[in-house]
Amino acid sequence: MFNKIALVVLGLLGSSYVQAETAPINGVVQSRCIIQTDVAGTYGNPNAYTLSTDPQAGGEPVVIRYDVSLADAYYAEITAPQEFSSSPAINDTLTWSGDTEVKAVSDATGMGQYESTKIELGMMDRYDLTATGSTWFKTSSEVTLGGNKAFPGGNYTALVLAECIAK
Amino acid sequence: MRNVKWFLVGVLISVVMVACSEAIAHEMTPTYPKLRPSFAEDIYTTSIDLFNRRQDVEYYEVGIFDKDFKVVPFTTIYKIVKVSYLSKVNINVYIKAKDVNKAVYICSQSKIRKEQDVRTVVASRICSKFK
Repeated sequence: MFNKIALVVLGLLGSSYVQAETAPINGVVQSRCIIQTDVAGTYGNPNAYTLSTDPQAGGEPVVIRYDVSLADAYYAEITAPQEFSSSPAINDTLTWSGDTEVKAVSDATGMGQYESTKIELGMMDRYDLTATGSTWFKTSSEVTLGGNKAFPGGNYTALVLAECIAK
Repeated sequence: MRNVKWFLVGVLISVVMVACSEAIAHEMTPTYPKLRPSFAEDIYTTSIDLFNRRQDVEYYEVGIFDKDFKVVPFTTIYKIVKVSYLSKVNINVYIKAKDVNKAVYICSQSKIRKEQDVRTVVASRICSKFK
């Protein structure tokens, strides 16, 4: 008899323990696109008349990460700089070049075609984000001052525009 | 014991990675907001949530655009909103009934300070689509 009571008590204790272990945590994940700057990028100054993000020129390209939690719902549009947002006074023509490419993906199967199917419109590259997960894009930029004149000393800042647009 | 040690190292690395990645993100929801009638006649409204995880950005500009990204008139309390680092702001926008059919996108764009001293800066813009 004592054994049976002990078993029932143990059973009750056990069930309450299980209830405690399965207490739910509720949450809602809204679909979203998150833009993260992994590397802000810097210009190197390989010669007097060029600023470049090429590592061989002493620069560093911009790396932007897109996190998408809804498949086939967004376009990523990344535009390389076409002007300085701040700089010393420059009295000659600037020639800009730039490009964006996929650096890494979190899902090689679903995102493997991103680079080959991108659309390039001038300095802007548009990617169709068809899969959920993370994609890292690398944007490089180079600017040359006309007539091989030297850039005046000072701080130069240029903007890379990273957009995530719902379809 | 050795496995536990490597597990702890892995956890530490992921915590550091998460901590680093959290410092620099721009986030806006929902993806597909809906315009609904407001308390005022012939005025529609919707709201968006902006979450700022960019330490280098304090202000975001809100805009409403048509299918060609031309500006559609709207009003809100401030079109340039201060969103402190790691904080979330809910923004209500109001648009005239006659402009509802034109409005396709609602976007938020980071505003970069002029005195930023790094040499390239990322301006982020997220656009949700009205449905």
